[in-house]
Amino acid sequence: MDTLERRVWDALASVPDPEIPTCSIVDLGMVEQVNVNEDTVEVDLLPTFVGCPAKDVIGEDVQAALRRVGDGHAVRVRFVYDPPWTTDRITEAGRAGLRALGISPHWEQPAGGPVAVSLMREAGTPCPYCGSADTVREAAFGPTPCRTTHFCRACRNPFEGFKEKPRLPSTTR
Amino acid sequence: MPERESYFAPASEPVPEAAPIEAPPLPDDARLVLLLSLADDELVIGHRHSEWTGWAPHLEEDLAFSSIAQDEMAHARLLYELAEPIAGRDPNVLALGRKPEEYRHAVICERPNRDWGYTIARQWLYDEADDVRTGALESTSWKELRDALGVIRMEERYHLDHGRAWFRRVAEDGVTARDRLAGGLELAVPEAMALFETVPGEEALLSDGVLARGSADLLAEWLDRIGSDLESVSLDYVLTGHARLGEFVPTSSGEVEERDELTVPGVERRDGKWVHVGGFAGTGGRHGRHSDDFGPLWKEMTALHRAFPGASW
Repeated sequence: MDTLERRVWDALASVPDPEIPTCSIVDLGMVEQVNVNEDTVEVDLLPTFVGCPAKDVIGEDVQAALRRVGDGHAVRVRFVYDPPWTTDRITEAGRAGLRALGISPHWEQPAGGPVAVSLMREAGTPCPYCGSADTVREAAFGPTPCRTTHFCRACRNPFEGFKEKPRLPSTTR
Repeated sequence: MPERESYFAPASEPVPEAAPIEAPPLPDDARLVLLLSLADDELVIGHRHSEWTGWAPHLEEDLAFSSIAQDEMAHARLLYELAEPIAGRDPNVLALGRKPEEYRHAVICERPNRDWGYTIARQWLYDEADDVRTGALESTSWKELRDALGVIRMEERYHLDHGRAWFRRVAEDGVTARDRLAGGLELAVPEAMALFETVPGEEALLSDGVLARGSADLLAEWLDRIGSDLESVSLDYVLTGHARLGEFVPTSSGEVEERDELTVPGVERRDGKWVHVGGFAGTGGRHGRHSDDFGPLWKEMTALHRAFPGASW
């Protein structure tokens, strides 16, 4: 079905995160709402990390992508904070995209492995290259606000993790 | 694009002198003061954290402090965006286009990093305090603030974990490391208490439901929290054995002049809890009064904005 709404979603799926080019903003669960009205297209996006320098670029890329498919509709792109973006919004395709870039989807539990009780999990983050859980976290901070740094003792590769933003009870309303 | 010989090629035009700020005073609004208190704390301590970039004791900590600084500045920006409609000023202008006496951060945020012991002490004390106050604001009646803080708190968890992990690591390490931390705590604890200095307009904010709890109540929770942690590593003596923050200077008549900055906050242990029994050190920040440490920081932080007003990149 070739509706404008369909084309808008396809256009959004073509906008990558500039710092994670293997994932689109749809894969990362950043698109909260799309409204197609008579003469406007409105999109609400959830920023992943508040300090993400890619946020402004993403806003501009979304504007440009929507203008291309918008049939002359006015385009409005907003960043909103309700609901808060959490890592469980990342889709299966998004997880695959992260792994392809050497970034472990941090919140995934290795089968039969330990259950994380702290965000500062020292060990057990699955390696995106070989899948081993025999890994150590080197730092809870990395090259961007959304990443942590790790080392895999099985395949001897350094890798990164995507910082978990769990859906905390206090923030679910 | 013309090829540049080097990133450090001389600018083709001389850099203009940074101009002084000339702007009408901000509206007198309790919500604005609250937002600026929260945002300025994050901006100014973030600026201090960023000074570790390239200089931290090891690479992971270089990344950690740079990353925490980036988060704190972003949190400040989000809060300045909320303040924009009240202040009638753009978030960039709010962040970098105010006179020094219009900044509402607590004095502790502007203090230089000193050494690693002070840095860790301050980061831990600050992020525990930030957690207490933003936790209390989860039930604010102001929806936009609640949404913003919901997102901010998810990221602050990492700062808090970092501060706690390093506090314990240094406190339980050898004599030198522990002494440095204790020295840092002695300097930082009294001024950290002033993070809970009453915000001007607090009564109105409490009756509107913008604030759920008053500053004294939040201070009590924070003190109880850090008191137990300090006891667990036998460093609780820093709560009562504060370092002198200045010197007593006898006047010509031989009397010792009492000065505000010499006040040492009273902390006592009562019924198994550490409690505040009066007095503060390093207050005034919420009213725009700052120490001599803020002048140079303000000059550096705002230089580009003042030299090129309205610049964007």
